[in-house]
Amino acid sequence: MNHLSAIAIVIDLVLVLGLTGFFANANRLLGPHPVHEGDADIPFETGERPIDSAVDKMSVLYHRFAVLFVVFDVDLAFLMPWALCRGSLTGTLVVSMTVFTGLLFFMLAYFWRKGVLECR
Amino acid sequence: MGGLLAPQMILAAGILGVLGAGMAAFNPKFIKSLMVLAILGAFAIAFGARPGVGDALVSLDGIGFSWQLVFYAAALPLAFLMTAESEVAPALVLGSLLGLGLLAVSANLLMLFIGLELMSLPAYLLVARSRGGAKTAVEAAIKYFFAGGAAGGLYLLGLALYYFTQKTMSFAGAGSLGAEAGVALMGSAALFKVGAFPLHFWLPDVYEASDPELAGFLSTALKAGGILLLMRLAALSPAGPFARALPWFGAATMLFGAVLALRQERLQRLLAYSSMAHAGNIILGVGAWAALGATPGAAVAVFFYLAAYLFMNNGAFSFLKASGAKTRADLRGLGARSPKTASAFAVLLLALGGVPPTAGFLAKLLIFWEAFKAHLYAPLLLAALGALLALGYYLALLKDLYFEDAPAVEPQLEPGRGLAVLWTCAVPAAVLGVAPWILTYMSRLLAL
Repeated sequence: MNHLSAIAIVIDLVLVLGLTGFFANANRLLGPHPVHEGDADIPFETGERPIDSAVDKMSVLYHRFAVLFVVFDVDLAFLMPWALCRGSLTGTLVVSMTVFTGLLFFMLAYFWRKGVLECR
Repeated sequence: MGGLLAPQMILAAGILGVLGAGMAAFNPKFIKSLMVLAILGAFAIAFGARPGVGDALVSLDGIGFSWQLVFYAAALPLAFLMTAESEVAPALVLGSLLGLGLLAVSANLLMLFIGLELMSLPAYLLVARSRGGAKTAVEAAIKYFFAGGAAGGLYLLGLALYYFTQKTMSFAGAGSLGAEAGVALMGSAALFKVGAFPLHFWLPDVYEASDPELAGFLSTALKAGGILLLMRLAALSPAGPFARALPWFGAATMLFGAVLALRQERLQRLLAYSSMAHAGNIILGVGAWAALGATPGAAVAVFFYLAAYLFMNNGAFSFLKASGAKTRADLRGLGARSPKTASAFAVLLLALGGVPPTAGFLAKLLIFWEAFKAHLYAPLLLAALGALLALGYYLALLKDLYFEDAPAVEPQLEPGRGLAVLWTCAVPAAVLGVAPWILTYMSRLLAL
């Protein structure tokens, strides 16, 4: 490594640190200084005041619904490419996707029958 | 392709059927027999399949064919012995088997990963449901889950490295540094699954907290799955650093398992460490197989070990179920009290220890012979030392059975079902060792 490339690395470092430092603090340097008053600092500015802290224990029962939601949500993502190329579908594709959707319905029926969907 | 995946389709249909029967609130016994039927059907179809077909994602070679038979056969003791009061456990067993079946026919590293995850995820749940969902079982399942998750992460990291250098996810060999590193990372995931020495920490807890029949399934079917993964990866670069390290991993695992098993009082933990020692032997065999060029036909030694081990270990765990014995103290005087159960266990102990003329002896001999042919003298010596040490605890159990007086207060054991399975396992464990034609037959299957 010669001197030139060492200087280049130093220039690069200075540029990187300077630019990132500037962008990280640009708001504080150039932006308007907000006035903290009224409801400005509450998490959701919907006009509703929070009844409780958001960082709180929840019943583990909600976890079940969250997991079920994610399962069906991810499965539905598979339907997306199928719907996008609906014009050029072959018979095998239609059949396999119907089987897949049928499996989803089967799962939903299973969960329903087992009382997983009940709010207890 | 549909014909190739027929056993897997049977298993998938079995899952749906089992869940549907549970939805309609059928008798649990009916649901259980549905599961047994699905496994038997998958076994029969897999037995009738002919290797040599496939495409880029799935294909059936000799190894996949014979391993599939091991997987399905190893699930049968669990299927017969498990207590199923609902459809959940049967569906989980079938799901794990489906993953194993997919692992066997995978011809692509990504398909291998899908098989790996699908075989492991139901196993975590099965462990958590053991012993009525006891706290120890849940704790073990969480340990198992995190160990398995780490293994999955390692596999994906290795796969990314491999893909980065080879630009493909099919079995395309490895030559460059990046591909070798990828193979080593993926291989460490396989070593995690098998429970090889530095990555074994989850194994004793999981095997001890599971129901005995489930521990038998984990130590035979799932271990065979990990070994299959190991072989596929070792075959990617048979002369690479990972494949060359395998015999040493095997010897270390063998010694470590044997030494720790010597000190155990509780039987299921003892068998857990003993299964570690056996896994060490098999890993040594895989290393020797890779060193000899990783040809499918030469996998007979590893296959025979797994097949013999399937009977020996499932039998030993079904003895725990059938007799209700938990500690070594429970064994004292059992030879006099219930001679039928005890004699079958004695046969299995001799087979596990590798005493001629049992299957265990022939299996060890074949592995050691392969290692000898591959000039792996130092790991071979260590493994032989481990085999000697292992005799120490197997013969000690034999002594407990027959040559110790029963304690003054007879232990109150709860005998369970499993006597039939115990004998069904004990007989092949003895017979396979004196019937070499079975081996010729199997080698013909492998060479197909």
